[in-house]
Order: sequence, then structure tokens, then C-alpha cells
Amino acid sequence: METEQIVKLEGVYKRFPAGKTEFTALNNISLAFGKGEFAGLVGPSGSGKTTLLNIIGSLDSPSEGTADVLGKRINTLSHKEAALLRNMGIGFIFQTYNLLPVYTVYDNVEFALLLQKRGAAERKKAVMEALEWVGLTEKANSKPSALSGGECQRVAIARAMVKRPQLVLADEPSANLDSKNSHHIVQTMKRLNKELGTTFIFSTHDEKVMQYLDRIIQLQDGMVVNQTGL
Amino acid sequence: MEWLSIKLAFRNLMGSGKRTWLNVTVLSIAFVVIVFYNGLLDGWNLQAKRDTKAWETGSGRIDHVLYDQFDPLSLVDAHAPLGDMLKAEIESGRAVAVLAVQASAYPNGRMVNVLLKGIDPAQKTLLLPTAALDSGRVEGDPAIPVIVGDRTAKSAKLKEGDVMIVRWRDVNGTFDAREVRIAGIFKTTVPTVDGGQLWMPLEDLREMTSLYGEATYLVLSDEVIASGDFDSTGVLSGEWRYVDENALMKEIDDIIKTKRASSMIMSMLLLGIALLAIFDTQILSIFRRQKEIGTYIALGMTRLRVIGIFTIEGTVHSILAILLGLIWGMPLLKLIQYVGLPMPAGTDQVGLAIADKIVPAYSAGMIMASVVLVIVTSFIVSYIPARKISKMKPTEALRGKLL
Repeated sequence: METEQIVKLEGVYKRFPAGKTEFTALNNISLAFGKGEFAGLVGPSGSGKTTLLNIIGSLDSPSEGTADVLGKRINTLSHKEAALLRNMGIGFIFQTYNLLPVYTVYDNVEFALLLQKRGAAERKKAVMEALEWVGLTEKANSKPSALSGGECQRVAIARAMVKRPQLVLADEPSANLDSKNSHHIVQTMKRLNKELGTTFIFSTHDEKVMQYLDRIIQLQDGMVVNQTGL
Repeated sequence: MEWLSIKLAFRNLMGSGKRTWLNVTVLSIAFVVIVFYNGLLDGWNLQAKRDTKAWETGSGRIDHVLYDQFDPLSLVDAHAPLGDMLKAEIESGRAVAVLAVQASAYPNGRMVNVLLKGIDPAQKTLLLPTAALDSGRVEGDPAIPVIVGDRTAKSAKLKEGDVMIVRWRDVNGTFDAREVRIAGIFKTTVPTVDGGQLWMPLEDLREMTSLYGEATYLVLSDEVIASGDFDSTGVLSGEWRYVDENALMKEIDDIIKTKRASSMIMSMLLLGIALLAIFDTQILSIFRRQKEIGTYIALGMTRLRVIGIFTIEGTVHSILAILLGLIWGMPLLKLIQYVGLPMPAGTDQVGLAIADKIVPAYSAGMIMASVVLVIVTSFIVSYIPARKISKMKPTEALRGKLL
């Protein structure tokens, strides 16, 4: 039985102005991701990994081609519709964690639920559960400045997962972490992928991350040059 | 969401620490100064009106139609006999008649232009100490008792008991002269009953000018106005017109309005500095916090709501400033109100009643208006830079790229 496709890209191009000419960051990308996949976009810097993740995450739109994510066509979404899609269905994990520095760990994780206007009791339960997933319940009242890099990234995972999104996009999540922490956070994500059925799409060039991926899509100069694990 | 924006804005402000408190402190100074200046002017306005009413205008006036208090030449013709109705008001003690005549006085060998004003020494409508016009009369001395204000006494180097000659034209235009004796010198905050004016018994002036039974204007007491006999400015008969309190106070209102405009410049400058600090902070925040903005957007916040957070953040500066201003400013302003603000010597020469001390008046309306001014202006200076967020690409914001 075929798995449900939650991301479908067809003939996607992304061009950016570069002086008087254009730079093509994505060149005719056609890909699909099914529900519950643990997949990675790999390739060197400038290969188009982050650009592709941004389009899937509705932070950007294709110059040409179509991108359908969670049943929505990214090309035609308004700012407000794109925000709603991200709010309800997509979690983001960034290389530099992007935690809000003036908030505590609890506040950072709760933030996504506040945007969903969930009740206080429901928020508290969900936040504590998410912190438990990443093993940071005891750090709930700490500020990000008091945490290590690995802990920060685990908070970012909890923030991405707390709203139980169908899709999590992780942009170089291990780039700022040491080997031990890299393994730890990818193992955490893998576990959540299995337990909650969440689709994870990574962009990475970290071998330590790649070994956990079920599917690897290799990009070069904005094109898919190889796929494994299909 | 709005509550969330306010909550987030407060968290962000508290997280900014010293920068926030510096802005808030400067803005709170501006707020207190605005309230102080407005209170000072309102207090001055109240005092000027209260004193002018008590000393000069009463609760209303009935003027001869030709009388123009700013044109001494109008006095030649601005007088008429009083009708029965006006006489009745005077006899009942609810009004006092004043006859004004231009004259020259010769104090200490100098000549000065003066205004002779005849008034009933027994009157109680005005605060002028006219009783001295009776008590100061010296038996067997033909000199007419007069009272003058201390400004006039000082400029003419007059003191109580001094005698000088005054010269005037009678009703036929013939020059005549008499000696007058300074029976009293009064101190008043109202320069318009003082400068160059000699107050003398009405009947003496009528006799001097052969204007028997005539007057230039009548000052009305509160009782007359309360009776409703006169309700709005206008001509009563062919020779008299009623001038209500508002019309009489227009001069003061105009002067206060001018003073308010000029004194507001300073408070506006201060407010401008404070708002510039907020504007700068907001601009800096948007550059410095691009990743944060990108994160908000990535987490599902619309740009409009991000703009809202930044605008509220700036506006919250003003709310904190008002609270801080109330904490340190209210006791200070109350203290100034309690002790009064001493006015430097010479300020009573501005042509408007100024007491030795001005007691500021802080009305709820004025404080609310100042609060609204501070909040609205800080909202505007916060919103303008926040609009830049709407031009920001979330992908570039996440990377912290400059706009």
C-alpha cells in the first residue's frame, strides 16, 4: 500500500536575481515525501538544500513549478495562509536553534501553542510532555543562555514537536553540535518519528546524521543527482 | 492574540533591561514636564481669571456702547446717565457703577497720563479697598482722596498721604484741575486696575466732570447673573450693552493660549528626544532582532502580528513611562502644588494677572490628555519602523541578513 504523500514538488525552479542576471538555486526539482518519512537533503553548501526546505516550509515560493505541502499549494498561498500552514502543520528546527533569548525554556516551547490559541491547561500538559520527550523537564525555567548547544537544540526540537505537526523541517540541526550531541538529537528525532509518525525532512551534510536517515536525496547545483532508500 | 502580543511585548521589554529603562525614564520626564507645564498654565489661567473677576470685571459688565477699554479716546463719549433698572441694581448692592475719565497727573513735578476712575466707596462687588476713599478724607482738606495700586505708586514715586494735582477736561471740554491725596495704596495681581489708574469717589468725579448721574460701565455681582436678568452678550438698550464673563475673559484666554503654545515647545522638545530614543531603539531592534522576527514568522505568526508586537513593544514604553512618571512625578507635582511656584519679580508686567506664587492646577482631563498624547505619539514612532518588517523576507530574516 502506498503511503500518503504530504509533500509533492513538480518541476520546481527557484531563481534569485544576481546583479543583472539570475542565479538558479533549484533546477527542475520533482520530489515527493510520504507520511512518516525520515528523509534528508544532502549536498555541499550552495547545492539548494535550504532553499528547498524554505519552499517546503512555505517561507518562500517557487519561481516555476508547483509545490504542494499538506494539501496546500505553496505557490498560491497568501502570507496569512502560509502563516496558518506553518502554525498548524509544520515544525522548524534551525542550525542556530533560534530560541527566543528573553524567554525561558518553557516559554519557548509554549510559544507555538500560544499562537494556536490553546487553553492554558492544555498548553501546560503539552509543553511538559514535549520537554519530557527531549529530557529537559528540569530545565523548564532556565533561559537559553544557561543551556549548552545540545540542550538548546533539544528545546528547539521540543518547540517544533509540541504542536504535533505532520511535518518537521530541520535545517542543518547538528551543524553547531559536537559528535555526542549530534547523535543524541538525531536519535531523539528518530524516536519521535517512530512514536508519533511525524515526517522529518533534514538538510544536512553531516555524516553522523545521514546514517540515521531512511532516505537520502543528494542535491548538487540545485538538481537532484541521486536518491537512496526509496 | 492581542493579549499575547502585549504579553510578548512586555517580556521582550523586560528582557532588554537597561535600554528599556533608559527610554522609559526619559519619556517619564517628558510626561511629567508636560503635565507640570499644562498644570502651571491652567493654574495661572484659573488664578488670573479668579483675580480679574474679583478685582476688575465681576461676574459680568454692562458697558456704555462706545466704551472700549483698549482705547482711552473712547472715554470722551463713553458715558451716559443710568436708567432706572441699572440704578435699582446699584442701589440693591448687586452692581457698582464706574465712571472713567482721561486725565493728567503731576506727581513730584512730572506729568503722567492717568485714568481717573470714580467708584462708590461703599461698594462690595470688587476687592478694591474703596473704603479708604471715605476714611482717607481729611476734614477741611479740599484734596480728593484717591487710591492707587502699588505699580502706579512705585512708578510715580507716590506714597500714602502724598498730594498731587490732576488735570482733566470737563463735559464741555474745558480744562480743570484739583488736588488729590493718596488715601491708600493697594497691592493686586491684576495690573489692569492698577497701571496709571487713580480710583476716587464716584460722586467727586461726577462733580469734577459735570457728568452727574452718569457712568461708563457697571460691574455686576454673581447675584445679578444668577438672577438670569442678563444671559448673553449684547446690546441692552441704545446706550448700554451687556458683556458676559466669557467675553470679559477672552483677553486672558488669548494670552494663556499664546503662553501655552510657547511653553509647549519645550515639553515637545523633551517629548521629541524621548520619542527619538524609542524610534532608534525600534529601528535597532528590527535590525538586531531579524532572526527573532524570522523565527516568529517560521513559527506561524503573520507579519501583521509581528508588526503588532513591535508596535506594542514601543507603545508599552509609554505606558511604563506614565506609571514611572506617576510614581516619582505625582509627589513632586503635589509638592509644587502645595508650596506654589514663586514667580520672579517683574513677571507682573506682562499685562495679565500673576500672583507672587502660582499654584498649578492638575485636572483629570489635562492629565488624561497628556497620557493620550504620550501614548499616541509613542505608538506612531513605534509603528513607523515596525512597518519595515512587512518588507522583510522571512528566509533572509532567519539568516539575519540586513534589510
